Amino acid sequence: MKNWRNHLGLLLPMLVVIGFSLWPVITGNISTRESAFTILKAIALASSLNILLGYTGYVSFGHIVFYGFGGYIGLYFVNQQDWSIWAGMLVGGISAGILAFLLGKAILRLRGAYFALATIGINEAMKALFNNLDLFGGPIGMVLNFSVYKAYGGAAKALGMAFYIMAGLTIIALIISHLVRTSKFGLGLLAIREDEDAAEVMGVVAPDTKTWAYVLSAIIPGMVGVLFFFKNGNVEPHVAFPLHSSIELLVMVMLGGQGTVLGPILGAFAYQGMRGYFVTSEFFKDIQLSVSGVLLLLIVLFIPAGAVGWLRQKFPTLRRVLQ
Amino acid sequence: MKRSFAVLFSLIFVLTLILSACQPAPAEAPAEEPAVEEVMEEEAVAEEPAEEMAEEVTLVIGFTSSITGKQEVSSKRQVNGLTLWMDQVNEAGGFTLSDGTVVKFAAQTYDDESNTERVQELYTRLIAEDNADFLISPYSSGLTSAASIVAEQNGKIMITTGAADDDAYKTGNTSLFQLYTPGSLYMSSTVDMLKELDPDAKVAIVYEAVKFATGVAQGIVPYLEANGFEVVLEEGYDTDTADFGPIVNKIAGSGATVLLGGGHYPDGTALARALYERNIGLKFAYLLVAPADTKFPELGDAALGIAVSSQWELAATHTEAEAGNMGVEWFGPTGEEFASAYEAAYGDPPTYHVAGGYTAGLVLQKAIMDADSVDTDAVKAALNAMNLMTFFGGTQFDSSEEAHGLQTAHKMVVAQWQLNADGELERVIVAPADVATADPLYPIPTR
Repeated sequence: MKNWRNHLGLLLPMLVVIGFSLWPVITGNISTRESAFTILKAIALASSLNILLGYTGYVSFGHIVFYGFGGYIGLYFVNQQDWSIWAGMLVGGISAGILAFLLGKAILRLRGAYFALATIGINEAMKALFNNLDLFGGPIGMVLNFSVYKAYGGAAKALGMAFYIMAGLTIIALIISHLVRTSKFGLGLLAIREDEDAAEVMGVVAPDTKTWAYVLSAIIPGMVGVLFFFKNGNVEPHVAFPLHSSIELLVMVMLGGQGTVLGPILGAFAYQGMRGYFVTSEFFKDIQLSVSGVLLLLIVLFIPAGAVGWLRQKFPTLRRVLQ
Repeated sequence: MKRSFAVLFSLIFVLTLILSACQPAPAEAPAEEPAVEEVMEEEAVAEEPAEEMAEEVTLVIGFTSSITGKQEVSSKRQVNGLTLWMDQVNEAGGFTLSDGTVVKFAAQTYDDESNTERVQELYTRLIAEDNADFLISPYSSGLTSAASIVAEQNGKIMITTGAADDDAYKTGNTSLFQLYTPGSLYMSSTVDMLKELDPDAKVAIVYEAVKFATGVAQGIVPYLEANGFEVVLEEGYDTDTADFGPIVNKIAGSGATVLLGGGHYPDGTALARALYERNIGLKFAYLLVAPADTKFPELGDAALGIAVSSQWELAATHTEAEAGNMGVEWFGPTGEEFASAYEAAYGDPPTYHVAGGYTAGLVLQKAIMDADSVDTDAVKAALNAMNLMTFFGGTQFDSSEEAHGLQTAHKMVVAQWQLNADGELERVIVAPADVATADPLYPIPTR
C-alpha cells in the first residue's frame, strides 16, 4: 500500500474503461451498448498487443491470429460439445497462450522486419489450416444454433451478457498491462526494447522473457475471439484471421501511444469511435474510408509519439498519471 | 517548414473532403410524378371530402449494404432493386389497408464494408436508433448469419436476398425469410443439362473457399455422383487469389472436361480470364455469380461460353399465366415492366441481384397487404403462409423449426454467354428446356 503512487497510472485507464462500460447501462440504449462493445473489444486487443509492441518493441503484423485461433477452439467446445461460454473462453485463452508459447520459441529468435514478416506468414498459414480442417467446418466454418442462447435466457440476454463479459475482459487486459509495466519482468521487456544485447549482458534472459510476454499478449485475444464469435453466431476462416485487423490494432497502439497503459485505450477509442461515427454519419457514410485514411495520415504525421506521448510532453506534471 | 507542411496537408484534407462530397449521387428515377403528399391530398379531397384524412404510416426498411469491400458490385445492384420498388410504391401514393391506413416506405442504410465486425452494431442501430420496422439482409451468408441474431433478439422480420447458404436458416430462427433458391440447389439444373449433353463428362469443381461457394460446390458432389459423373478434382481457392495460373494448370492436369465452380464477382472474372488465356480445352465452364453481372462481357472473348445459374433472367421471366397454371396467386409487375422501369432509372439492364432486391420489397408489401396490418407478428404469419408467384418466380418459405425461412418454391435457370447474330456477347437461357431461349454452346469454342 505504501507504493500506491506506483499504481496511479492504472487509475485513469480504469476510470475511463469503467465509465465507458457504464455508459450503455445508464442510457439503457442497446445501440450504444453495441458501439461500446466494438470499442471495448478494440481496447482489449490493443492493450494485449501493447505488451509485445509497446513494452518489448516487437512489431507483430499477425497478432489477430490468437483471436482467431482461440476463438475457433473455444467456439467449437461451446457449439459442438455444449460447454458454457465461460469454459469456452477459458479454453480459448489457454489454447491461444499455448500457441503463443510454441510460436514464441520458434520465431522470437528473429528480430525487426524478419519477426514482423514471420507473424504475417503465421496468420495466413493458420487461416489456410482452418480452411482445410473439417472438424471446424472448413471454409463454411461453424454456425451457432440459437438454442445455445437459451441457456443464457435467450438471444437478447446473451448479447447483453456478452457486453458485460467484454467489459470485464478489457479491465483484466488493463490490469495485466499495468502489472507488466510496473514489474521487474516489465523492466526486462523495456530493456529488451531499448537494446536487446545490452539487456542480456545485464542479466535479462531475453528469449524466455520475450516468450512469456508473447504468451501474456495472446491469452486475452483468445478469450475475446470466443466471446465475439459466440455473440456473432458464426465463424469463418476469413472472419477469424483478418490481416487488416492486425494492422488496425497497430494503428490504435501507435495512435494512443505505445508502451503506455492509457495509450491503447485512447487509440482504440479514437480509431473505432471515429470509424463508428463516420460509418453512420449521413454526410460521411459513403466516403468514410477515405476520410478515416486522411485523418490517420494527419495524426501520424503531426503526433508521432501518440496521444499519451504528446500529453506527457505538454503537461510534465501529469506524467505520473499519464502512463 | 513544419508550418508549411501543416498547411499543405490541411489543404489536401479539405480538398479531399470537398471532392468526396461532390461525387455524383446514384441515378434516381425521373421525377415525373407529382409529390407523394400532393397525390395523397388530392385523392383525399376528391374521394372523401367529408371524412377525416386517412392515417398514413411510413415504415422504415433497415439494411446494410456493401458500399465498399468485395461484395460491392452485387450488393449495390441489390440496393438499386429495392430502391426502385420503394420509389414506385411511394410515387403511387403508397397502398391502403382495410382500416384506411396508407402505407409508405422509407429506407435507412449503412455501409457494412463487406465485413462482419460491425454488422451487429449497425443492425442494432437500425432497430434502436432508426426505428426500422422491417429489415432486409446484408449481401452474403456470413453477414446475414450475424445480422439474423440481432433480428431474432428484437423480433424483427428480415427478408434475405443474397444470402443463399442453407446453414444460415438452420439455426432455430423464426424471423428469416429467404428469397433465393438455397445454395445446395444452385447447380442442380446445370447437372441435369450436362446429363443430357455429355453423360461421360469428367468434372472439376474449383470454388472460392468461403461459406457460400463451398456450400454450393460441396452440396452438388453427391448429385453429380448419383448421376454417374466422375469428379476428378475438388479444389478450393483463397478469396484473395489473383493469379489463377496454378489452379488452371491443376484443372488441365486432372483431365477434366467440365468445370463447375467460382465464387463471387472479383474471383469469377479473374478465373474466367485465366481459363481463356491458358486455353485448356474445357468443353464447358460454369461459374457462380460473376457471369450473371452485366459487366461480365467486358472480359471480351474470355466471357464466351461461360455459364451461370441465375435466380432470374428477363428472357425467362415468370408470368401470370404460369401462376394461373400452377394455381398460385400472382402479384406485382411483369418482368418486362420491371426491366423497363429499372433501365429508365439506372440506365442498365437488371441482373438477378437487382430483381432480388426489388422482389424483397414486393414480398414484404404483399405480406403486409395479406396481413392487413403492419404488426410484425401478423406480417410474420402472412409470410409463413405465403405461396406466391412474382416475375422473380415462386415464393414459399419453410415454416418448420429446423429450417425456418428456407426458400422452397423458387427455381433457378442456367444462362450462358453466347454470340448473337451481330457477333455481340449476349446472355441466353440454356436450361431448363421449357424456358430455354437457345441451345447450350457445347463444347465451348477453343482458340
